[in-house]
Amino acid sequence: MAKLELRGVGKAYGATVALRQGDLEIEAGEVHALIGANGSGKSTLCKIVAGSVRPDRGEVLIDGRAVTVRGPEATGALGIGIFYQELSLARHRTVAENISLPRLPRKGGIFVDRAAMAAIADRHIALFAGVAGAGFGADVPVERLRPDQAQLVEIMKTLASEAAILIFDEPTSALDRAQAERFFEILRERKRAGVGIIFISHRMDEIFAIADRVTVIRDGETVGTARIEDTDPTAVINLMVGRHEAASADAPPDTGGEDGRASQSAAQAVLAVRGFSGPGFRDIGFAVAPGEILGFGGLHGQGQSAVLRAIFGALPGASGEIRLNGDALQPTGPRATIARGCAYISGDRSRDGVIHERPILENVTPIHFLRNRLGLAHPARLRDKAAPALEALKTKFAGFGHPVSSLSGGNQQKVVIARWLIDRPAVILLDDPTKGIDLSAKADLFALIRDLADEGIGIVLYSSEDAELLANADRILVFNGGRVTRVLSGAERTRHNLYRAAYEAA
Amino acid sequence: MKGAPTAAAAGPAGLRQFLVRFPFLPALCILIVLLALNGIFEPRSLSFRSLTGIVSTYLALMMLAVAQTYVVYAGDIDLSVGAIVSLVNVAIVALLQQMGGGGLTVLAVLGIGLAVGLACGIVNGLVVAWLRLQAIVATFATSILFTGLALWIMPVAGTPAPAAVWRTYGGRILEIPFVFWAVAALALVLAILARTRLTTQLLAVGDDAVRAYQSGLPVTRIRIRGYALCGVFAALAAFCVTGDTASGDPLVGAKMTLSSVAAVVLGGCALSGGVGTVTGSVLAAVIIGLINSLVYFVGTPSEWQNLVQGLAIIVALMAGVLVTRWARS
Repeated sequence: MAKLELRGVGKAYGATVALRQGDLEIEAGEVHALIGANGSGKSTLCKIVAGSVRPDRGEVLIDGRAVTVRGPEATGALGIGIFYQELSLARHRTVAENISLPRLPRKGGIFVDRAAMAAIADRHIALFAGVAGAGFGADVPVERLRPDQAQLVEIMKTLASEAAILIFDEPTSALDRAQAERFFEILRERKRAGVGIIFISHRMDEIFAIADRVTVIRDGETVGTARIEDTDPTAVINLMVGRHEAASADAPPDTGGEDGRASQSAAQAVLAVRGFSGPGFRDIGFAVAPGEILGFGGLHGQGQSAVLRAIFGALPGASGEIRLNGDALQPTGPRATIARGCAYISGDRSRDGVIHERPILENVTPIHFLRNRLGLAHPARLRDKAAPALEALKTKFAGFGHPVSSLSGGNQQKVVIARWLIDRPAVILLDDPTKGIDLSAKADLFALIRDLADEGIGIVLYSSEDAELLANADRILVFNGGRVTRVLSGAERTRHNLYRAAYEAA
Repeated sequence: MKGAPTAAAAGPAGLRQFLVRFPFLPALCILIVLLALNGIFEPRSLSFRSLTGIVSTYLALMMLAVAQTYVVYAGDIDLSVGAIVSLVNVAIVALLQQMGGGGLTVLAVLGIGLAVGLACGIVNGLVVAWLRLQAIVATFATSILFTGLALWIMPVAGTPAPAAVWRTYGGRILEIPFVFWAVAALALVLAILARTRLTTQLLAVGDDAVRAYQSGLPVTRIRIRGYALCGVFAALAAFCVTGDTASGDPLVGAKMTLSSVAAVVLGGCALSGGVGTVTGSVLAAVIIGLINSLVYFVGTPSEWQNLVQGLAIIVALMAGVLVTRWARS
């Protein structure tokens, strides 16, 4: 009987299906790897087991008995421990406090048993003795630690649950070689002790080093499980790619003129970047030719967004050379780059785009105001400027005076995009622009982007959806660990090549 | 635990770590400076008598700053603490007036006062953590509710408290003023509370509520407990007010609410939660008291006193915040 079993688990957020069909079986004493592309539903699956997301349907069984995980509080009693990819640490608390936080040892009813807490901390810190690095200790607040050290604390916290089922959602992303090796030794030990382990990683070599079985999840569906000795990385990637691969059908039809475009010299480029480094990326170089859509691909958070935000001037601490139409651009801040003709469209509308509760007209015109230094403006004339921009995107709205929050997510995003179209920019940076918008809005958006490219505007598109990228970008830079590891152009732009480059060890 | 002596030896980096470990240090320095200034402008102000006076006047604010601290730990805020002080003040004075001022009766009535404070705190906790209303607005609303109750109990100020109350508060035990015993007791209680699971859990919730939830902490219950604790300390503050003013006043606490918030910030707490010490809040409450007395001793004309007080508090806040920011950078 399986230690943990998921049967037909599904979860949707409104119209967005995060997990369609999750079926998974974990045996006691097994490391079970879970692999899948961006947004395929791995983390949702884990959070359902951990109780922080409630499934819409399906069953979770532990030792053959159906259970309802009522919330993270209940996982302790059920014997489930989870490592959160985004970490669950209290930054100002010490390492020792964080390790024991879910189950602070008790003394005299209400007090923290500090001695017991220190003992737990020492025991778990000892597991990583010699590899944790300088400045690591039980009394150090987590905010003082390096990212890899914080990740070790989250690992220790998960191990300290002493649970019979452990889930690790990308536990090694910040660890160095020695730390990861040590972690794998500990996992093997736990495995021998009969613990069932779910292990999520994007590193193929790690999965083949530690896992007993691997399950592939694609588009919210678990599509296959194999014993590790019966499979190989190519087979796993093929399973991840699935039927999509049916040739490069999803590549843009026209590839004729594009090799010529790509080889144009940097002098003719709309946007040329050289030796660009900053927080989360190193030594990035590329050139966007007029009329070209340059794609950024790879796994989530490999530096793609950071590069775009840094060019736009919204992420301080970057250095390198940026040329816009041949002239040097200093990204000192969004105001400066907007004045030079940069446009930045973020998928995180509510944070970076929409001015909530304000009318649609005010949401379309702020860039027009800024670029023309308008102090006063005639509302009717503004409407005349805003209307064509909105129409170009087939935006559905009742009136300029309605608040932008009355629109659907897709139409809100169109409003945000429209504000850049009144005065044509030189370059448009798209940072995962289609997050949470429906298919028809996506189609409208990409049709418009292609038109803008044909007008000669340079376009950089980062998308976490590989299909979007393959269908719309003329060239794709694959990011891995903050660097561009591969450039795919022409017929090379296939899902297979994209995954292979993204999942290789950096 | 490592000891204190490394601060000077290790240079700025060591000093920073020291400040992060003991976030109330800036408040302590400001306090010492203020004591010195008070002494310079009015030597008699450092006499035992006048220090006792300052403590008896500002013990209530010290208690209230402590009350506010536990809520701020969790990233919440309580704008009803002053109203709770008023409500408990009039409740106990009214009860004592009806039941007489005997020793046991007083103790029983104080017990009821604590229960009232606790109840108010739990109401706040339920409204904020369970109903998930914005803490700042919800506790503003409950403050009106509590003030309404206080006005219903005692429509006008001026009912006197029995002699047993203010004689004890202003008196001495074993030749040491009662208020100093109270401060010692407060220190002991705070030391005990600092070792409880609740304190660590409140700070973890204030650090990041989502992460605390994901770690399996009962976030809602923890926040309600924080408000309950706050209510209890607000009731203690009301006892001090009653002892100091010797009367009931349905609006006595109103002006103390924002002072308690100022004290918490000055004491090194982050209003976003997760950082701070009760020690800092207590010291900062005394600082606010000393600023008021200093403004008086310097001989500020009465029409300028508020303005100078305000400026002095801004300067103190700025000094504290700048040092803390430097330490954390």
